[in-house]
Amino acid sequence: MTWWHRLFHQRQHEEQLEKELRHHLDLHTSDLIAQGYSPEEAQRQAHLALGGSEQVKEMCREARGTRWLEELLKDVRIGVRMFRKNPGFTLVVIATLALGIGANTAIFGLVDALLLRPLPVVKAPGELVLLMRGDGRGPTLSYPDFAVLRERNEVLSDLALYTQAPISFGNNLRSEVVLGAMVSANYFDVLGIKPSFGRAFLPEEDRTPGAHPVVVLNHSFWQSRFNSDRTLVGQTIVLNNRRFTIVGIAPSGFDGESPPMKVSLWIPVMMMASMRWEPGALDHDPLNNRQNEDFGAIGRLKQDVSISQAQAALETINRQLEESNPPPPEQRLNPNDDRSLKLISPQGIMLGPIREMAVTSSRLAGATVLTVLLIACANVANLLMARAARRRKEVAVRLALGATRWRLIRQLLTESVLLALVGATAGLFLAYWINQLLMAFKPPFPPPFTFTLDVSFDIRTFVFTFLLAIATGVIFGLVPALQASRPDVLPALKDESNAESPRVRWLNLRNALVITQVALSLALLISTGLFLRTLRYARQIDLGFKPDQVLAVSFNLRLQGYNEAKGREFYQRILERLESLPGVQTASVTNLLPLGFMWLSTPVVPEDREVPPDDRIFAGDVCVGSKYFETIGTPLLRGRDFTAQDTIKSPAVAIVSEKLAHSLWPEINDPGEALGKRLRVGRSNPISCEVIGVAKDSRTNIFNRLDRAPEPTIYRPFTQNYSALASLIVRTDGDPRSLISAVQHEVAALDENLPPQNLQPLSETVSLASWSARTGAAVLGVFGLLGLVLAAIGIYGVMSYSVSRRTREIGLRMALGAETRDVIKLIVKQGMGLTLIGAIIGVMLALAVTRLLASLLYGVTATDPATFAGVVLFVIGVAVLACYLPARRATKVDPMMALRCE
Amino acid sequence: MKPKSDLPQGTLDLLILKVVALGPIHGYAIAQRLEQVSRGVVQVPQGSLYPALHRLENRGLLAAGWKVTETGREAKFYRVTRKGQAQLETETAGWQRLTQAVSLILKMSEGGA
Repeated sequence: MTWWHRLFHQRQHEEQLEKELRHHLDLHTSDLIAQGYSPEEAQRQAHLALGGSEQVKEMCREARGTRWLEELLKDVRIGVRMFRKNPGFTLVVIATLALGIGANTAIFGLVDALLLRPLPVVKAPGELVLLMRGDGRGPTLSYPDFAVLRERNEVLSDLALYTQAPISFGNNLRSEVVLGAMVSANYFDVLGIKPSFGRAFLPEEDRTPGAHPVVVLNHSFWQSRFNSDRTLVGQTIVLNNRRFTIVGIAPSGFDGESPPMKVSLWIPVMMMASMRWEPGALDHDPLNNRQNEDFGAIGRLKQDVSISQAQAALETINRQLEESNPPPPEQRLNPNDDRSLKLISPQGIMLGPIREMAVTSSRLAGATVLTVLLIACANVANLLMARAARRRKEVAVRLALGATRWRLIRQLLTESVLLALVGATAGLFLAYWINQLLMAFKPPFPPPFTFTLDVSFDIRTFVFTFLLAIATGVIFGLVPALQASRPDVLPALKDESNAESPRVRWLNLRNALVITQVALSLALLISTGLFLRTLRYARQIDLGFKPDQVLAVSFNLRLQGYNEAKGREFYQRILERLESLPGVQTASVTNLLPLGFMWLSTPVVPEDREVPPDDRIFAGDVCVGSKYFETIGTPLLRGRDFTAQDTIKSPAVAIVSEKLAHSLWPEINDPGEALGKRLRVGRSNPISCEVIGVAKDSRTNIFNRLDRAPEPTIYRPFTQNYSALASLIVRTDGDPRSLISAVQHEVAALDENLPPQNLQPLSETVSLASWSARTGAAVLGVFGLLGLVLAAIGIYGVMSYSVSRRTREIGLRMALGAETRDVIKLIVKQGMGLTLIGAIIGVMLALAVTRLLASLLYGVTATDPATFAGVVLFVIGVAVLACYLPARRATKVDPMMALRCE
Repeated sequence: MKPKSDLPQGTLDLLILKVVALGPIHGYAIAQRLEQVSRGVVQVPQGSLYPALHRLENRGLLAAGWKVTETGREAKFYRVTRKGQAQLETETAGWQRLTQAVSLILKMSEGGA
C-alpha cells in the first residue's frame, strides 16, 4: 500500500484500526473473564492494559506516516467550506491571483521558449553540445579544424558540421530566397533524426566536392511549398540556379540546430563551393581554407562523459591546432581575442546576439511581471487581513480550546495556498492567451530569417507555475496568518469587534501594503510612459526620407550566378519595366536600403588637403541609380542628380550629404560651395571623385539606431559601382502593396527562377526600427495598467474597510452636524496620505529603474519630468476615485443606525 | 509476581518480527505469545504493540490481511514479508553478536581482577 492509497482509503483504514483494537480488547476481556474477573472488571482491566484507545489510535496513525497529510486534507476541506461561504471574497482573490500568476506564467513560458528549451525532435538533447570558439557569437570553426577535432577527440561519439546561408530557390512566380544549411553527411545521425520520407545523407556524399547535388527539405517547407507531395522524393528543384535531387524530408518540427532561425533545406557541405558564385569562388575551396571560419559544429557526448570533461579534452586539441598553425594576425579583429573552445548545450535561442537581446528583454519582462505579482500579493494579503479581523472570534475559540498557534497558522496557510493554486490554474489559461498576444510582437525579421518560436507550455512551465503558486500562497498568507493567530484571546472572545481600535496605528501593515502597491504600479507606469514617449518621438522624427508610398524589393544576383554584365543588364531592364507600370512615379536602385539590416561605411578624404589616417572621416557608402533622391524622398539641396550620362566610362562623380560636406570642408558656409571639389573614397584603392551634388541629411543607417544623428553619407552612381546585392525602390501613386504582384510578374518575366526578396513597403522595413520601443510600451503598458487596477482595488478595499470600522464615528460626527462634504474630505484625506507616500516612494523607485531602460529609449531621457509628473497625477486621480466611492458610502450612514448598532 | 523487565530500546520490533515469522498471527496473539515465551519476564506494553505493528507494516517488513479466526471473527493477521525476513536475520545476528560480547565482558569481570 502506498501512502496515497492509504490517504484515499482513510475512512476504511480508520474502520480497520477500530476493528483491530476492538478485537484485541474483546479477546483480552474474555481471557480475563476466564481467569475469574467479573465482565465489568475484565473490560476495565483490558482497557487499562491497552492504554487509552484514542491515544493508541493516534500513535498508530502517526506510525503510518500520513498524519500530516490527513491534517492537510482536513485543512483543505475547512478551506473549501470557508470559500463557499464567502464566494465574493474568494472570487476577487482568485481573479487577482490569476492575473498576477498568469502574467508570470506567460513570461516564464516565453523565457522557457527563448532560453531554456532543449532542441526539439532530436534524440537525447541533453547529450548534444555546440562547439564554439570565443564568445559564441557565431560559427567559429574552419573545415580543416573541424576535421581534426572530429578525428582526434575521444569524448564525443560523433561531431557534425553546419553552416547557414541564404539560398535562392527558383520556383517561377514563387521563387524565393530561403535559409539553407550546408552540413556534413553525419549531421542527421549525430542529432539522431530520421527523415519522415526518403533518406538522410550518405557517407559518400561527404567525400567529393561538388559530386552530389542532393537536398533534404524541412517538413513545413515541404508542406507549404510542395503541398505535402509524397512523390517529391527523387525529383529535382532549382537552388542557386542549379538542379538538386530531393532525397528526403526531415521530420516535422525540426528547423535546424539554431532556433529561432528556421532552416528550410539542408545540402551536403561538399556542395558548398558549387553553391557560391563569387568571382573565383571555384578557385579556392572553402573547405580547404583554415581562414574560412564560417562553420559551427554540434557533437554528441559519449556515455559517462561530462560536458566539462569533453570541453577540457577538445580544448587541448584546439590549443594544439592554434599553436601548430596560428591564424594570421589580420584574421583577428583583436589580437587578444579569446579563441578557446567552449562547449554549450543547445537550449532555446543559440544565436549569440539574439540570445543576448532575449536575455535583456526577459529580465525586463520578468521584473515587470514579478512586480505585478507583488502588487497582487499585497492586495490579497490586505483582503485576507480584513477578513482575518472578522474571523478573530473563530480563531480565539480554537486557541482557547487548546489548538496550537502553529496548527492554526498551518490551517490559514493551507487556505491561502489553496487560493493561490486555484488562481494559478485560472492564470494558466490567461497566460496562454497573453502569449498568443505577445507573439504578435515578435521581431519582424525579414526573410529568409524566419523567426519561429513555439510558446506552447511544456512541463517546466507547469512546474514553475505550481511552485510559484505555493510560494505566492505562503507570501501573501503568512503575515495575515501570523496576525490572525495572535493569542490575545480575551478581548476577541468578549466580542469586541473594535478590538483593534484602541491602538489603530497610522502606519499599520495594511497601510504599508497600500503604499507598496501605489509605489510599484507608479514605477511600472512611468516606465510605460517613457516607452510611449519614445514611440511618439519615433513617429515625429524627421527621417530625411519619405518611406510612405514606396515599395522596395531586394535581389541577390550572386546566388543566381549572374556575372556583372548580366547583372547590370538585369537592373537596367527591370527598372525600365517597373517605371512603365501604371501607378509608378519613379523607380531607382540602391545597394543599401535605409534603416535596413546592412550598413557599409568607407573612409572619405578631401583631395585639397592632407588628412592623417586617424582623422579620416567614415561615411555611409551608398551606391544609387538616377532618380534615387526623387524616389526615396530625400531632397537634393545643391547640384545635380546622377544621370544616364554618368557611366562606367565617364569621370567618377559623387553626391555628398550635407553633413559630410561640412565634415570634409569645415570652412564652407553654404553646402553649394562643396560642388566641384574632389574627394577620394575607399580603403585600399581610393577612387577620386568630383562632388556634383549635396543631399539633405537622412537617417539611413542601420535599423535599430533611429535615435542616432544622421551619419555622413556619400552617394555614388550605381553604374560606376555595381553590386550584385541591391534593392529596387518604387515610388507609387497610392498604396505600394497594390503593386506587389505586378513587380513579381515583371521579375519572373526576366528570370523565372530569380527570387525577389523582402518585397514590401519601405515603411515596414522602417517599422523594425521602433520595434523594441513598441514592444516595451505594449508589454509594460499592459502590465502597468494591470498593476494600477490592482492597486486601485487595494486602495478601495482598505478605504471601504476603514469606513466600515468607523461607521460609528462617522455617525457621531454627522449627528453632531458634520456635512457630507466634511465626511468625504475626512475619508479621502486618509487615503490620499497613503497615496502620496506611495507616490513619493514610487518616483524614487522609478528613478532607479528607468536608468536601466535608458538603452531602449530615445528622444526622451530616463528621468523625463513630463512623464513623471503626468503619471503621478494619473495615479493620484485613480486613487482619489478609489477613495471617493467608499467615502460617499460613508455619508449614506444613518446616524441613528450607526450609533445603535453596537 | 516476578519483577518484569523493561524491553531494551529497539528490541520490540525484533521480537515482533520473530514471533510473526513463525506464522500469520493477529495482534492479541502476538502480545500473548511474547509473554508466554519469555515466561512473563518480558512485559509488552500493549499500548506500544499496535503502533509498532503499524510502523513495521508501513516500512514493508510486515504485511497484513483480514482473515476469519477459529472463533468465527474477523481479525487482522500479520505475516513477515521477504524484506522483513531479511531484516529479522540481520537483526538477529547483530543481537547475538552483541549479547555474546556483553556476556563475555561480564564473565571476564567475574573471573578477572
